[in-house]
Amino acid sequence: MLDATIILQILWTSLATSSYYVLFAVAFSLVLKVTRLFNFAQAAIMTIAFYTAFVAVQWLEWPAWAAFAAMMAATLAASYGLERVGFEALRKRGVSVMFVFVFTLMVSEFVAYVAMLIFGTWPQTVFPVIFWPVTLVGNIAISAWDLPAIGATVGALALLFVFMRFTRVGAFMTGVADNPDLAELYGINKRRIFLVAMLMAGAFSALGMFLYGTRAQVLPQTGLSLMLFAVAATIMGGIGNVAGAAIAAVILGVIQNASILVISSEWQGFLLYVFLFLAIVFFPNGLRLPQRRGRFAPAAREILSEQDAPAAEA
Amino acid sequence: MEYLYGLIIIVGLYVILATSFNLIIGYGGLVSIAHPVFFALGAYASAVLARDFAVPVPLAMPAGALVALVASIALALPSLRVSGDYLLIASIGFQLGLLEVIKNLRITGGSGGFSNIPPFLIRDVGRESYVGLVLATMVAVILLVRWIARSDYGRAMSAMRDDELAFASIGRNAMWMKIAIFGFGSGIAGLAGALYAHYFRFVTPEQFELVQSAAILTMVVVGGMRTTWGPVVGALLLEALPQALTFLNFPPSILGPVQGLLFTGLVLVFMFFRPQGLVPAQDVWRGARKAGESR
Repeated sequence: MLDATIILQILWTSLATSSYYVLFAVAFSLVLKVTRLFNFAQAAIMTIAFYTAFVAVQWLEWPAWAAFAAMMAATLAASYGLERVGFEALRKRGVSVMFVFVFTLMVSEFVAYVAMLIFGTWPQTVFPVIFWPVTLVGNIAISAWDLPAIGATVGALALLFVFMRFTRVGAFMTGVADNPDLAELYGINKRRIFLVAMLMAGAFSALGMFLYGTRAQVLPQTGLSLMLFAVAATIMGGIGNVAGAAIAAVILGVIQNASILVISSEWQGFLLYVFLFLAIVFFPNGLRLPQRRGRFAPAAREILSEQDAPAAEA
Repeated sequence: MEYLYGLIIIVGLYVILATSFNLIIGYGGLVSIAHPVFFALGAYASAVLARDFAVPVPLAMPAGALVALVASIALALPSLRVSGDYLLIASIGFQLGLLEVIKNLRITGGSGGFSNIPPFLIRDVGRESYVGLVLATMVAVILLVRWIARSDYGRAMSAMRDDELAFASIGRNAMWMKIAIFGFGSGIAGLAGALYAHYFRFVTPEQFELVQSAAILTMVVVGGMRTTWGPVVGALLLEALPQALTFLNFPPSILGPVQGLLFTGLVLVFMFFRPQGLVPAQDVWRGARKAGESR
């Protein structure tokens, strides 16, 4: 029997779990915006992030903070290597976009097979236990994982906003995203900006994977499915629109989790592919929201309509 | 002897798969990784029709190819309408999504697989005849793709691939050509699937996962794209290597990842150091020039 408590509970849990989806979508969208690459190698970065944290906690028995630091270091190093050794060489060679597509996808699969060889094909988690203590607020169960996860995501997004808005490098990133060659004419080192975008995406992917791996089980191929979710959110959010991708990720996350009310759990995973397909078919340019109206918009509209009127009559 | 026949059939089927994939990715310039799923659709459709609906195998096989062809058009039509770039993304989703469906449906036997597929020719005429059928199909596919690539249509394909804008400006419809290439190549993959199903008589969704995508892509990239013999050499080489691996007696849990590493690793190495493959064609990976861009 459906009542308000159940609906609120599902909405809350979906909102909390969409935190890592947001991080993955922001990472994917940021690289696409700045470097114009569909970086399917993000799945490889995510796999490296998770298994570094896993090894640090479960094999080396390091404390959580040390595991987190090791994971970030490994992820940033992998992102650095990917940009410097992979993408830079491909850019110099002037290969087609399709070449980069296939290259990044193969990198992800290669890393997944390495993980399979080392860690086997059974599911793993960062900590041995993924059940978090629950507190009842009203009748809603809030797990000890939910608030830190949402907090970490909101904090990371706030940092990204401040970075993009108020720092020189952030402004350079927007410039390079807009027109890389023009930005270079203005003295911006586009190579460096591409690297910064890759490193930031790496950090977001790692944080997302840490949150995911502390709550759910991970297989070597999990990175790929999680990344496909990010791809769907990026397309729906509108290519080049990082905030749009984040919002789309929340919406898709909530829909996927809430779908348990109407479809059986074994079909829930299938929804991801439906999203991806719908995103491509119906929203290839992103969901179009009504244009924001500025303070002077009505006045401007009046002037414009006056200008248009004679033309229309003519 | 049975092992040898099985091996010849597998190699023959992979030559068919790699050749048809070469038509799509090499000659057509359409990047998709979902080729194994059309192989799967052909196999499952033909198997289900023959076993559960008592359709005679010679009819079920082309029906399997037809199902793959129709499914490929269903994938290509919406994604190519937007842009060629989206075909790859859609193909990943299509492959993983469809495998998810096969794993959850009762009619396909779920993740346990589909067994007791009616055999064809093996009992009545002998295994040799099936080997002959597969090899004849293989030769026909190689010659057909070679003929298409060298015909007027093939020259139109090159024009469409290399400069779509110029191609469209002389009044040709690039999208329909892409859909025709994709549908035809996928239909052949479906036929290969049907040929697989009625010899080995058991299929599981696991056989068509991403490792297969990597395998077929590796055969084409390593062999040499846009050449007749490149995919053939690639398929022979890359089917021989895993066979050699099986003689090393790795446990199954290791063998799968090792094969995956081999395929993906080879693609990466060749992409970096010998993008033209073993049998080179010219300018394989060069991006299509944009209008007005000078060399």
